[in-house]
This record gives sequence, structure tokens and C-alpha cells, in this order.
Amino acid sequence: MTIAGYPARGSSDGRWLALPALAVLGLFFTAFAVFAIVSLLHNVSGTASIVGPPSLDNYRAVVGLKLNRDITLDTLWLALQLTGLCILIGYPLAYLMARTPSRTLRNLILFALIVTFLSGGVTRAYAWLIILGNTGLVNTLLKTAGLTPLPLVHNRTGVIISLVHFLLPFFTLTLFGGLKTVPASLEEAARNLGATRLRSFVAVTLPLSVPALIAASTLTYAVALSSFLFPDLLGGGRNPMAANLIYQKILDAFDIPAAAAMAVLFLLIALACVGVLGQLERLVQRRFPTTGRRA
Amino acid sequence: MKAQPYSRSVVAVSTLAMLFLLAPVVFIMFYAFNEGRYFTLPPKGLTLHWFANFFENDRFRAALQSSFGIAGLVTPTSLAVAVPSAIAIVRGSFRGRALLNAALLSPLMIPGVVTGIAFLGLFSQLDVGSGFWRLIAALTCFTLPFAVRALVANLHGLDPALEEAARNLGAGRWRAFLHVTLPQLRPGLLAGGIFVFVEALDNFSISVFLTDLKTTTLPIEAYNYIRDFDDPTVAAMASMLITLAVVLVFLIQRVTGLDRFLDLK
Repeated sequence: MTIAGYPARGSSDGRWLALPALAVLGLFFTAFAVFAIVSLLHNVSGTASIVGPPSLDNYRAVVGLKLNRDITLDTLWLALQLTGLCILIGYPLAYLMARTPSRTLRNLILFALIVTFLSGGVTRAYAWLIILGNTGLVNTLLKTAGLTPLPLVHNRTGVIISLVHFLLPFFTLTLFGGLKTVPASLEEAARNLGATRLRSFVAVTLPLSVPALIAASTLTYAVALSSFLFPDLLGGGRNPMAANLIYQKILDAFDIPAAAAMAVLFLLIALACVGVLGQLERLVQRRFPTTGRRA
Repeated sequence: MKAQPYSRSVVAVSTLAMLFLLAPVVFIMFYAFNEGRYFTLPPKGLTLHWFANFFENDRFRAALQSSFGIAGLVTPTSLAVAVPSAIAIVRGSFRGRALLNAALLSPLMIPGVVTGIAFLGLFSQLDVGSGFWRLIAALTCFTLPFAVRALVANLHGLDPALEEAARNLGAGRWRAFLHVTLPQLRPGLLAGGIFVFVEALDNFSISVFLTDLKTTTLPIEAYNYIRDFDDPTVAAMASMLITLAVVLVFLIQRVTGLDRFLDLK
């Protein structure tokens, strides 16, 4: 009775095919279950052993510390700024890719995005460290031009520049997937009826691309929230984000239970934020049911 | 007299964005050949010294071996799990398929640090496996969504009638799959495989918790090296990995085309 010839034929409905996946998911969720339990226990200081009785002490300690609260809020805010920057830079890029009649140009942009995406996190963090460093490319050029060098690393600026670079392919590629399903003919029709290019974009394409825009922003926001490497290397330890804080807990004290409590809270906050954005996407999807589906 | 569909400002922003994207990638490839230990403009000269330095470093050699070993094992494992899962999601008729799909994609939305600590907690409690196998297990879970997404998208585009025709002509289910469905899954396997391979090779935030004295990976070693030394050795490593990325992109372009590849991601 299904569209597929597959399951209807035999006695099975295809559920046995899910077994390998269930095994992997079982491992994954077991890890999270153990981890949730560990977060309730205590570390015997100076050792790696973890003992009971279960309590919420770790959580109390984590929430009680102002530094943790501040950095978490700051992380949520920074991720929002980063997503905003990606929209400003990535939207025109995705739009050009979706609308250009030239296949070569489209492939060129895709090439740049995919190569950047595939060329690795540590690699790119390192490249930015050398480019933005005090004696790096940018500052050497500034000095040659007789200008004062700028402090671009070991501060927020470096973290933002490198993270936008890291996030841009995620954002642009996802948005492009949705944007290319918005027919160019609609915009053309608006222009033929006398609308300016800007007006036909704002009135036609932009609203139709909102679902794809939200999908791309959600992904970007989720990835930005969990940034770890870039704030660490470009921020010089002075601009930690939430993930860095958790890592420090393990590195400094090897206190797995305390780190687990922090991670559980961080996970809940991250999932809540992504969930809200996902809900928004569904709402918009209902309003514009036919367009901008994520590819 | 068709007007350009986009304005000059779109082209201007896009040009700047392209320069921004490619600048560090191109820069680091040149920096790998920089003769001096530090960055200077213009460079003192060209050298292959940093490449030699990379390969002479014991830690990097060990990391190179285990990184490619891990990514090389994670990729087929992840794909082997993803193929039946994707078929179950797209062609199956049992209840809970949507839930299975959501659960399979969930590792994507969980911050890497959280996944890393979860596996660290699990493995240290169970006290099983060496760093190498722990990394393979954790990275298989982490990369599975990439493979599943690519294959689900691929399967959605296939016509089940082809397989049905094979079955009507007397092929068994397994034979129909092997000769009809599997060959059509090539683009999905390639796209998914490349993503899984690169994500496994490049992963930092999970691996950092699972490497041990015996097993280390390239991103971790590069990170440690950057913290301790200031010379272009990591740039040499980077330029080799970027070259690999470029080769993979050309491979994609030849087999499926770049724009189709995205639909499979």
C-alpha cells in the first residue's frame, strides 16, 4: 500500500533496516544518560573516581557562580551577533548564486564556500592568528602604509572575524538551498509591472525566502553557540564562550561531574534556543506553505 | 533587453565576501613556504623546510596515521549504518519513522563539547577501549547525521518503480537493491562519505576529550603545536589538508556537480 515497492511486498515493513541505526543511537543516548547521572555525583578530589550520593549540588554550584551566568548570557548574545553578520554578508552572496545566469560564477562561489568549509577548523583559526596577529599580515600592511597597527587578536574582534568566516559557509549554503526554489520569474513579473529592483526584492523574494532564512539562521546560531576553538585561539583565553568554560573545568580540575552539570545546563539552553527558532520556522512555513523549503 | 536580476551592491558585497572567504585559505598555503620562522612582508624566501619539519615530528607522524586511520574507519562504518537507516526512513512503512529521522539528526544540534564530555564520562565509567576505538565510536555517532541526510535526500529523488520492475522480473529483494538501488545511491554515498570523512578528520571539540597518550589526531596536535611554537609547520599541514579539500571538491564536481551536491548535504 505504500508508494515504495519495498515493504509492501514482504511480511516486513522495513523496520529491521533501522537496527544498525538504533545500535548507534543506543550508544549515543547511553552516553548522555550516563553523563546525566554523573552530573549528580561527586568527584573525589585529586582522583578520577566518582561517588554518590546523587544530589543537585553541582548544579547549584554552577548556577550560583556569577561568572558562569555572565558568560552563558554573553555566549547567547555573541551567537546572535554572529548570526546577524552572517545574514548581512551571506544573503547577498546566496542571492547572487541563486539568480546569476552564469553557471561559471555560481560554481566559482560554490567552490569557494565548499573549499572553505572543508579546509578545517584549526587550520582556519591558525590562518587568522597569523593574518590578524600583532606582526601579522594586516598590521604589517598598516605599518607600511604609515598607519597605527590595530589590536586584532586576543580580543573580541579576532573572535568575531574568525567565527564569521567559519560560519559563513554553513549559512550561505543552507540559504542558497532554499533561495533557489523561489522562482526568479515572480520577481521579474513584479519588475515588468513597474516595481524597482529593490522593491520587487523586498515585496516578493524576501518574504518568500523567510523560511529558508530562518532555517539557515537556526543552523548558524546552533553552530555559533557551541564555538570552542576560535574563542580559545583568537580570544587568547580572555574571551571564553560557554564551551570554553566547560573545557576549563575538565582541564583544570578534571572534575567530570561538575563539567557534566555545566554541559547539561548548556545543552538545555542551546536546545531551547534552537527549539524556539525551529518553532518559528514551522509557523512561517505554515504561512508560506509552498516555498523556501530547505533543500 | 533583460535587466540584470541583481544590483551592483549585491555584486560588491559578494566580491568582498569571496575575498574574505578565500583570503585565509590562500594566505596559509603561501605562508607554508615562508622561509622565515615569523611572518614578514615580503617573505625572505621560499622553502620546503616546514613540510620536512612536519613529517619529521613524531607527534605529527603519529597523529597523521591515527587521524587517517580513524577517518578511514569511521567513513565506511557511518555509511554502512546510514544506508539501511535512510531506506527505512524513506521507504519504510512502520510507525516512528519521523522520530527515527529526528533522533538520527539530533547529534548535529548538540554542541561538540557536550558530546565529548558525554563520551568521556561513558568510557571512563566503563573503562573500555583504547583512545583509538573510543574516537571511532564517538565520531561514528557524531558523523552519522551527515551520511543519513545525504542518503535520505538521494533516496527521495529515486523512482521506486525501477526497483519494483526488477522485483517483478524475478530479482530478490537483496539483488534488486544491489543492482538497481545501490548504483543510484552513488551521489549520496559520495557526498555523505566526503562530509563524514572531513568531519571525522577535522573534529576537535569531541576528540579533545578522547585522545590519550597513545592516540592523538591532527587537529589536536596542530592545536598543541600552535600553543607551544611559532613557526609555519602547521601552515604546511594546513596547505596539505586544503589541497585534499580542493581535490575532493573537483571530484564532487566531476561526479555529481557542485549544485547537486548541496541538495545531498
